[in-house]
Amino acid sequence: MSMDHDSELDDLEFFQKHVSDRFSDLLSSTIEDPSSEPLLSIAWLRKLLDDFLCCEAEFKAVLLMGRDPSQISKPPLDKLIPEFLERTIKALDLCNAVTLGIDAVKNLQRLAEIAVSSLEQAPIGDGQVRRAKKALSSLVTAMLHEDKDGGIVKGTERNRSFGRRGGNNAAANNKGNFRSLSWNMARNWSAAKQIHAMSSNLYTPRGGESTGLAMPVYIMSSVLVFVMWTLVAAIPCQERNGLGTHSPFPRQLAWAQPMIGLQEKIAEEWKKKEKKGSVGLLEEMQKMDKVGQSLIDFAESFQFPAEAEKLEEVKGQVEELAEICTKMEEGLEPLQQQIREVFHRVVRSRAEFLLVLEQAGKLSAPPM
Amino acid sequence: MDSPPLTPPNLPLSAAEKVILRWDSTASEEAREKMIFDCDRHEVDLYLQAVDEIQRSISSTSISDDTNQVNPAVQIAMARLEDEFRNILISHTIPIEADSLTEQDLEQQPSSSSSPIHREAIDGESNYVNDEGNKLFRFNSEGTCSNVSVNSSYRSTSSIREIDLIPSEAVYDLRCIAERMISSGYLRECIQVYGSVRKSAVDSSFRKLGIEKLSIGDVQRLEWEQLETKIRRWIRAAKVCVRTLFASEKRLCEQIFDGVGTCIDDACFMETVKGPAIQLFNFAEAISISRRSPEKLFKILDLHDALMNLMPDIDFVFDCKSSDSIRVQAAEILSRLAEAARGILSEFENAVLREPSKVPVPGGTIHPLTRYVMNYISLISDYKVTLNELIVSKPSTGSRYSGDPSTPDMDFEEIEGQTPLAIHLIWIIVILQFNLDGKCKHYKDASLSHLFIMNNVHYIVQKVRGSAELREMIGDDYLRKLTGKFRQAATSYQRATWVGVLHCLRDEGLHVSGGFSSGVSKSALRERFKAFNAMFEEVHRTQCVWLIPDSQLREELRISISEKLIPAYRSFLGRFRSHIESGRHPENYIKYSVEDLEDDVLDFFEGIPVSPHLRRRSN
Repeated sequence: MSMDHDSELDDLEFFQKHVSDRFSDLLSSTIEDPSSEPLLSIAWLRKLLDDFLCCEAEFKAVLLMGRDPSQISKPPLDKLIPEFLERTIKALDLCNAVTLGIDAVKNLQRLAEIAVSSLEQAPIGDGQVRRAKKALSSLVTAMLHEDKDGGIVKGTERNRSFGRRGGNNAAANNKGNFRSLSWNMARNWSAAKQIHAMSSNLYTPRGGESTGLAMPVYIMSSVLVFVMWTLVAAIPCQERNGLGTHSPFPRQLAWAQPMIGLQEKIAEEWKKKEKKGSVGLLEEMQKMDKVGQSLIDFAESFQFPAEAEKLEEVKGQVEELAEICTKMEEGLEPLQQQIREVFHRVVRSRAEFLLVLEQAGKLSAPPM
Repeated sequence: MDSPPLTPPNLPLSAAEKVILRWDSTASEEAREKMIFDCDRHEVDLYLQAVDEIQRSISSTSISDDTNQVNPAVQIAMARLEDEFRNILISHTIPIEADSLTEQDLEQQPSSSSSPIHREAIDGESNYVNDEGNKLFRFNSEGTCSNVSVNSSYRSTSSIREIDLIPSEAVYDLRCIAERMISSGYLRECIQVYGSVRKSAVDSSFRKLGIEKLSIGDVQRLEWEQLETKIRRWIRAAKVCVRTLFASEKRLCEQIFDGVGTCIDDACFMETVKGPAIQLFNFAEAISISRRSPEKLFKILDLHDALMNLMPDIDFVFDCKSSDSIRVQAAEILSRLAEAARGILSEFENAVLREPSKVPVPGGTIHPLTRYVMNYISLISDYKVTLNELIVSKPSTGSRYSGDPSTPDMDFEEIEGQTPLAIHLIWIIVILQFNLDGKCKHYKDASLSHLFIMNNVHYIVQKVRGSAELREMIGDDYLRKLTGKFRQAATSYQRATWVGVLHCLRDEGLHVSGGFSSGVSKSALRERFKAFNAMFEEVHRTQCVWLIPDSQLREELRISISEKLIPAYRSFLGRFRSHIESGRHPENYIKYSVEDLEDDVLDFFEGIPVSPHLRRRSN
């Protein structure tokens, strides 16, 4: 009997340790080698999702495999698991919203590609500059608008002059382009509110409960909330105003330290950007914004022919922009597919848990 | 649609540039106020010719010469063309009336969920297209444009019906512009503009079709009845979306972009419909992952069937590589719906087994569970075509000969040659009976519990016999078993109630040995009569309130009782009444005549209490 108890403890301890290890890895990769997988880059997000899938698989194994299924239906799990399943529903909607948001990012990529292809041609003439400027203006305008209808543009960017020449019509129309994508979630649906609801009833198990199955449920819930929160911070999706930046996890939890570290870093970025009214923390988008603004400046002050060193500088920036586009071209679609995989996995696990609960008669019997 | 022959003679480059600059909307108010393509044809042709000339000069001059002169002209022209393109798209979109988007179809569906079939009245204003495919369209041509032709083309799947979204002259103009934008390397801008305008057109059609945006959370929270309505609406809308709306958008892309570069029409098509398609399928997906409960089965099957019927059209419309994800999603949803159906059936079986109500049904009549289950499996037999494909394995609930007292035993191998679905149905009846067997124990009166079983099993038999499909699936063998069971219950009832009563009328124990004068013990006889009266009165009082709903069964049982009771009493009376009548107060002992008994038997199982005062007496 004690042997079983020990191996059961090992199970739970391993799970906790693995979660901690994975997030520790994610945190350190942003510090040690920031150029390969910067925080909130597409590559980093894909790694995050991979880690999520691993955690999820282990969680399911810990809870369901080799265990008497009736354990799931005993207190406190009889309450905790349904709460967890409620969170998974919100996570599914968030997956869909983020996927839509990635479509919006793809749109930005295409605008950037216009600018790249026009400025890549040498020598750079008036026509190319105007074309690039038109595309970049649309790009930057789209980025500035937060994701609700009639979004109020925050900060000083509202008055930024794109010049009356060339950019306006396209900008206006592409604004609509961006906003209309966000209308695809249900009206009144808010990513920020969903995240908030997911974390509002997340309570750290105390005392005796902390050694039982309540702990892995809490850990998995925390991971779920964190991953969703991170995705929403990175990718523009419907209604992110009010996204909370406080860590919902108590500081003293050892396994949560890496996650808390990441959360703090991201929250800091979020607060900075929120003031400027910028749209998504996705690293590639941030870079695109910076380079785009700089190229617009160049375009506005352009006179043919331009100075050689200016052209050299622009060449470098265009290359940078091209690289960002390539990263997006290569990474956005796989990212969407990964999110879809997360979606499937969450649906599947949810169904399995529901089955166990229903068989134990713990869920309300279907009406007859 | 070919471009017309170029207007000769060639425009000199300087003249061409002038034309372009004249229409630079960033430079002049006048250029902003008018659209080229709203002007007369000459203006349009002139502009296009100018663009062609600029393009020609770029490709022929070497890079360094006059780059900055010609270059800006191209960009200005392309920016202008982009605006013109957008304008043509927006202003020539044929407004589609909401009801002309409704496709009334006459497809066959299971009777329990037949879609309403109605034809709309034709009024003089609209074009009416009715074709042999039995599909009906009303197309309102009250648009802003002149020549509108309804062009219905037949494709490989006969259910696709494209409509014209933009009149053909406008399409021609769009094509002229697209060719030039693309050959100048402005493909991306072209796709952007096209996608954004068409996408909002699709969005607005979605609104007209009443397609809602519901989150998965919303769907989980709604009452199932509300969801049933939404599912019905969705099925209608989805057919129109795939077969008409999306198909028409696809055709429009082909009309404008086909032949102008590789796969551009595909890119534009996906730009337009990818978002809306995902939004459409998200609802079906949300339904497919909702919590399983028995009442959802049939609507989920409807949804499954509708989506399955739509798959060839989905495959046809979304046939390019970039739309893989949509086809994949549709297939995923289909398989989830199938899984949901299987899960619900399993859940239903569990629920029947576990149904816990302990309160005995008054009068031993048919239990609501029995009605519910039999109605349910009747509906299942209506859906047997689909379910036979989906249900491929035997029931897993309960195990055979497991020794587990909480589930019945059943050897599935015994049932040969039956589809898995049929085995499930039989199994459901088995567990229903098992549950009922448990319930009948709650009756304090053993007779009533037998009656209860008899009533309920008989009901099962009647329901099976009443449906040809059910009967075929359940099979005559099992039907015989069931029949045997309720007859057995009837026999058990009779034994439980009447053995005691008839025991009063037996011969033994009444005769005393010895003595000639009286072979019969008068006191014993009196006891017998008293006992009989008391018992019969009690039985009569109690069992009138019991109910056998089926009139034929009720009659049969009463006849069976009479057949044993009446002759026995008649013969008893005949032999022994004189002994009583020769004593004192015979009326205390002979309370019933044969006719009385016959009448009283008719009161049995009516479910109506009988007042003792109303009992007729005949002496």
